[in-house]
Amino acid sequence: MDGKVKEQKRHQQKHSGPKAERKKLKKQEGSTEEDGRKRNPKAFSVQSAVRMAKTFHRSQDIKTKKHHIPHVDRTPLEPPPIVIVVVGPPKVGKSTLIRCLIKNFTRQKLGDICGPVTIVSGKKRRLTFMECNNDINTMIDLAKVADLVLMLIDASFGFEMETFEFLNICQVHGFPRIMGVLTHLDSFKNNKTLRKTKKNLKHRFWTEVYQGAKLFYLSGMVYGEYQIQEVKNLGRFISVMKFRPLVWQTSHPYVLVDRMEDLTDPERVRTDPKCDRTVSLYGYLRGTHLKNKGQVHIPGVGDFQVADVNFLPDPCALPEAQKKRALNEKERLLYAPMAGVGGVVYDKDAVYIDLPASHVNQQQEEVRPTTELVQSLIDTHATLDAKMAASKVSLFSGSATLDSTDVGEHSGEEGPREECVWDPNTQRKRRKVVFTEKEEEDVSGSSDDDEDGDVDSEDGDQEEQEEDEDEDNLSTFLKDARAESDETEKTVTDAPPAKKQKVEGGKKRGEESAEVPAFADSEDDLEMSEEESEEEGENVRAGDSGHCSEEDEEESGDDDDGEEEEDDKEESEDESMEEDDAAGATMKKQTASESEEEEEEQGGLRWKEGLQQKASEAFLRQQKAAPNLRKLVYGSVVEADDSDDEEQELGGLFRVSRPQNSKKSQANGVDSSRFDPDASHNWDLEEMLNSIRDCFVTGKWEEDQDAATLLKEDEELYGDFEDLETGKVHKGQTGEQDQAENSENDEDDADDDDNESLVKVDDDEVQKKKRLEKKQRLKERFNAEYDDEDATYFDDLKEEMQKQAELNRAEFADVDDETRVQYEGFRPGMYVRLEISSLPCEFVTNFDPHYPIILGGLGASEGNVGYLQMRLKKHRWYHRILKTRDPLILSLGWRRFQTIPLYHIEDHNGRHRLLKYTPQHMHCGASIWGPVTPQGTGFLAVQSVAGTKANFRIAATGVILDLDKSVTIVKKLKLIGYPYKIFKNTSFIKGMFNTVLEVAKFEGASVRTVSGVRGQIKKALSTPPGAYRATFEDRLLMSDVVFLRSWYPVSVPQLYNPVTSLLLPAGQKDSWAGMRTLGQLKHDLGIRNKPNTDSLYKPVVRAPRHFNRLHIPKELQKALPFKSKPKQQQPKGKTPRDLQRPSVIREPHEKKVAALLLALSTVHNHKRKKAHTAQHAKHKEFLQQKEKLEEAKLKRQKEARKKLYRIQGQVDQKKSRSSLKGAPQDD
Amino acid sequence: MASHGLAYDGCNFFRQRLVLSTLSGKRVKIKNIRSKDDNPGLRDFEASLIRLLDKVTNGSIIEINQTGTVLFYQPGLLYGGSVEHDCNLQRSVGYYLEALLMLAPFMKTSLKATLRGVTNDPRDPTVDMLKSTALPLMKKFGIDGEGFDLKVVKRGMAPGGGGEVVFTCPVRRTIRPVQLTDPAKIKRIRGVAYSVRVSPQMANRIVESARGVLNQFIPDIYIYTDHMKGANSGKSPGFGLTLVAETLNGSFLSAEMSSMPQGQGDPKLPEDLGRDCAKLLLEEVHRGGCVDSSNQSLALLLMTLGQQDVSKVLLGPLSPYTIEFLRHIRDFFQLMFKIEVQKPSEDERKGGDKVLMTCVGVGYSNINKTIK
Repeated sequence: MDGKVKEQKRHQQKHSGPKAERKKLKKQEGSTEEDGRKRNPKAFSVQSAVRMAKTFHRSQDIKTKKHHIPHVDRTPLEPPPIVIVVVGPPKVGKSTLIRCLIKNFTRQKLGDICGPVTIVSGKKRRLTFMECNNDINTMIDLAKVADLVLMLIDASFGFEMETFEFLNICQVHGFPRIMGVLTHLDSFKNNKTLRKTKKNLKHRFWTEVYQGAKLFYLSGMVYGEYQIQEVKNLGRFISVMKFRPLVWQTSHPYVLVDRMEDLTDPERVRTDPKCDRTVSLYGYLRGTHLKNKGQVHIPGVGDFQVADVNFLPDPCALPEAQKKRALNEKERLLYAPMAGVGGVVYDKDAVYIDLPASHVNQQQEEVRPTTELVQSLIDTHATLDAKMAASKVSLFSGSATLDSTDVGEHSGEEGPREECVWDPNTQRKRRKVVFTEKEEEDVSGSSDDDEDGDVDSEDGDQEEQEEDEDEDNLSTFLKDARAESDETEKTVTDAPPAKKQKVEGGKKRGEESAEVPAFADSEDDLEMSEEESEEEGENVRAGDSGHCSEEDEEESGDDDDGEEEEDDKEESEDESMEEDDAAGATMKKQTASESEEEEEEQGGLRWKEGLQQKASEAFLRQQKAAPNLRKLVYGSVVEADDSDDEEQELGGLFRVSRPQNSKKSQANGVDSSRFDPDASHNWDLEEMLNSIRDCFVTGKWEEDQDAATLLKEDEELYGDFEDLETGKVHKGQTGEQDQAENSENDEDDADDDDNESLVKVDDDEVQKKKRLEKKQRLKERFNAEYDDEDATYFDDLKEEMQKQAELNRAEFADVDDETRVQYEGFRPGMYVRLEISSLPCEFVTNFDPHYPIILGGLGASEGNVGYLQMRLKKHRWYHRILKTRDPLILSLGWRRFQTIPLYHIEDHNGRHRLLKYTPQHMHCGASIWGPVTPQGTGFLAVQSVAGTKANFRIAATGVILDLDKSVTIVKKLKLIGYPYKIFKNTSFIKGMFNTVLEVAKFEGASVRTVSGVRGQIKKALSTPPGAYRATFEDRLLMSDVVFLRSWYPVSVPQLYNPVTSLLLPAGQKDSWAGMRTLGQLKHDLGIRNKPNTDSLYKPVVRAPRHFNRLHIPKELQKALPFKSKPKQQQPKGKTPRDLQRPSVIREPHEKKVAALLLALSTVHNHKRKKAHTAQHAKHKEFLQQKEKLEEAKLKRQKEARKKLYRIQGQVDQKKSRSSLKGAPQDD
Repeated sequence: MASHGLAYDGCNFFRQRLVLSTLSGKRVKIKNIRSKDDNPGLRDFEASLIRLLDKVTNGSIIEINQTGTVLFYQPGLLYGGSVEHDCNLQRSVGYYLEALLMLAPFMKTSLKATLRGVTNDPRDPTVDMLKSTALPLMKKFGIDGEGFDLKVVKRGMAPGGGGEVVFTCPVRRTIRPVQLTDPAKIKRIRGVAYSVRVSPQMANRIVESARGVLNQFIPDIYIYTDHMKGANSGKSPGFGLTLVAETLNGSFLSAEMSSMPQGQGDPKLPEDLGRDCAKLLLEEVHRGGCVDSSNQSLALLLMTLGQQDVSKVLLGPLSPYTIEFLRHIRDFFQLMFKIEVQKPSEDERKGGDKVLMTCVGVGYSNINKTIK
């Protein structure tokens, strides 16, 4: 073994023999049979059918569990900004986080976070940040609109109630994405505690949200901001986050308002500061399509009808599609009008320029695309201002009535004016540029507002006037002054012919359609021109984002001369356009509108041109007679209901005579859906019959559907087949044909190949094409079949949804926004301006941008109030149970309102029994009077929204089940009576009812006594009133109490009290108090119930017990032994005198002797005592000694015994050993 | 609450207003109902319709002034269930049934309505026609399944009436969007020739003459003769014909004609009636579209109430009733249809202009249906 390692024998591979053979075979075959199933089929054979079925079921279960019900994807192409709500208790760093994130995305610093802040964060994503303060109202509102919640948690403190409350609110109103952010982590000095806290908080957070929910750690602050890298990471997370659609949000339109303007007439406000306000609210539309004139709810304010909706150019638009990775500096937009950021803000009729004190020029340079325009605005307004002033002086030199505001409203003749608006929010003056001239009209044209509509025509006229007589301000002012009074006159005098007929056109619109085709024809161009003039306004606004100014007009005016010759052409375009259908027309309108505008500007001169052409076209049009159906049905859409208002307006002084009779007679016509046939059709004529031949299967088919062609195609595809029995191959006909053709061709070619070569090339191409087509068809079929193979119901459904989504996208994709909005409503993602009239003045005066304003659209009948049935459960963290009829604040749908619920529970027999209190850990039913909300909507309840309380505020949660009073809630009522006459089993009972009628109602009802004897009411007795005869199963006693158990229906109190927290003055917005509960009321007023005296506790007074003497009969006494005989128990009486001993009075000598004796005995006693103690001690000692001895003795004895036992043991051992060895030896 | 109602003048399109009001939950006020008439106010048949609405709803408020010229209607929730109604004899059951067809899918519980009265009269769509066209149309919108049926138990002609119809309809939470853009070709024509209290031969005579006209187009014609006797034959004599053309895509076009009510106008020969009715069908085919002219409004309503998806339907020329219905839809649901005229090409022989109606549904969901 010393270094000599013996080498092992190497493995010898067999090169021949069976083993080698097998291996070789394996090597060869192995490559071909990779599949284990084939190689080793036994291992994969079915061992147990049951097991197989189980595994199959399981796999199918798992598969189907992954499926969700497919929904049609309705997300818009350009989605609205994502709402990120930053929530957390105070002083946790919410504002700082928002500031850091904004800085991260846009490189801009923001001071106070005031209202929503919208930024462009990426090529396809915009974000709206909103800070949520600690008010539960705000938390509820924002939870409903949030897409993503950043939940800030102070790690140094731990979770606070607000966090959990917010999580609960989210759970009820659809769960948005929630991301936790831990702050104040730098306050931990010890690394271990930090880790531990992080872990604890994370796990608690996970149980609330979901396992593995993202929790961010913001470790520390650097110069008052979070660390850049951490914020960047958070931002990255936000910008790639995906969102799930929430039911409520996707079925309702809503706007998180980021801007508010008060449009109320200042004069009205001055005269009546408490008047209702007209307010325009701005924001991105989210959720789903918003219809104009819909109903909205503003949480914290109430329900309102939207007066008007427009869409505005996007103030924070996504960058145009460009193929680059990052945004450049100009595209990183920031829009936060409430915080006073966002530069120039365009409104429908005004431009707001935000001018920070010293950065005027800088600011304007920053806003890139608008610089020139703004510059021009500023330039022009000065000159016009001067103009205005001049005109004012020259005209009404003493009148104070024609001040700037008046002129602004009435005339619309001025250029942009400057208005200094004190912005209470930002504490500075804002220069509001108000356009009153061109823009005003545009507004009126586009808006459906009644007044605007009225002014419209007049304005239009004036505009033309102005264009014509540019300098003549005087005349325009005169006209203006007259405007309201003699509108009709005006239309007669100075409108061009097209305009003049417009009024009539508008009126005729409402007429019945029986006579409409003719009307549609005659009115068509008039209508069109009118509509176009309106459209023009809108288009201009849409086109150059609403900042159309004087300059534009001037430009167009300048261009007019140059474009004059084009006008004719464009006119003709207009005319031809009318023959198209409505959609087409509106599409073209945009292009045509400019020319139209110019035409109008030209005034009375232009219309004369091309009269002949027009006439001929009109003739052609009538020939074609294709009524513009859209107009026929809806009239000119934009001002749908103007005609009526116009009538009313005009009714003041003059009334335009118009054929109203026909309309009136139509109003009471026969109401039938029958459509009488066209009289012109004579179905006896052959050509009429021929005109519908193709509607029948016997008629001619289209090329692609014709049976013959389809058959042929099929043959082409499936013509080739092989007969398996005979082994004969059948070629498809076409193939043969092709061959034949080919051969023919060849022959032809052979015949004359030199001159026909070109043709041949063509033929080849045709052939090639044919082949390609064939291939394509084959492939399609194959695909279809292949997909069909494992197509399930789910796949089909998904495909269907996909198709629908594509259709939805495609249908209106090529229509311009103005028209599109009319068909499908305003689509989410648009920046809209909603005008709401009659908002309470507190909304404006107490406006605080820190509180979110949400406009929640309401569905079909969600504006109504009715009875609601709900399922409700008291929250397990709420420390009290809820009492029936105590007012409760519910958050349901968009709304927050106070109502009075009745709690009930369903008995086993389907009866809904009223509960006095909610059960502790169970669901119960609740009925309220409240806003109609679709079933399945969740709600939460709080007892009060005022102030902050230490404990959990969410009292209950639940879901809406039903929307009517389909269940009647009953409460138990026991009627008590007393028998006054008792027969055998029959008794007369009184005191239960008051009249015979009442008894009659309860005849046959079962009654019972307290002792359990059952009976039945038989018949009323005449006297006393209310008494009745009843039979029982047993005889009653007079002391029995009879009772009747009945159920009494309870009605739900009709209290619906919206929480108007937004109307409260700033700083008190979290102190809304509605109806108080009975308990609170009593507490506040110091009312105490007078308790039933029987229920009161009284001091226990116990009378001393008095026992009677024990009396033993004399006989017994005699028999008793003496021991037990009663002794003389009475106390001894006075000792009789003779037995009394006399007292001894000692002599002085005797006294001395006695004293001496006493002293002696005392001494003796003392001695004795001493001796005794001594003796005692001695004895003790002796006892001790004795014990010692005893001990020693015991020890000795023990030892001796031990010795003895040992010896004995040895002997025993010996004995046993010897016995084991054998007795014979011993013996 | 701030929901303002809508106000209308005159009693025309009375049904539409009430039905749409019930569906949208908007209150409606109708003024000047025949206010200038010698006999002002609501007619009996309208009052009967209001009563029917009251039966199928829960919590509606209906106020009518003394003369009956002003009606205020605040709709409640559609309840459904089993309803029996004696329709007024001035209008046929079809008048009431058309309203019920629009409301039935949105009830709380499935509707089982028994309507008694005039089943066939010349003014309104008859029960047979609704059965053969409206029901298959509704099926396309996903309203089908068990218990979707319209049964003519007794036939009652005007003016006596005495007919009975049972209409059952299941409830739906949402309505499917549809794309009915291709009517396809007519594959067969079916029909019912009915006669009550007259010779059974009448029906055969009608069939003969109707076939004579229609046979030029298609051979697959079958017209059932339906002669009801005894208790099932109502109170007045009469006869009539309903023709239905079914296309390959399952859309139905129909035409009908019934004899003039007894004692009104001059009687018509059964042969003439059959021929005229066949011509009416040809007229209907000429109009074309996927929905026949009397059901246009039903189709448009169901499109309106669909989910927020694009629906398309190809119609024939819009009837005045439909045009007014479109306006009402805009009033009640703020929804406008995109209306495109499709002109037939030169060499096509498929009748007149067609109208393609496109809309995005309002996303209506049946708030009456209880969730368990």
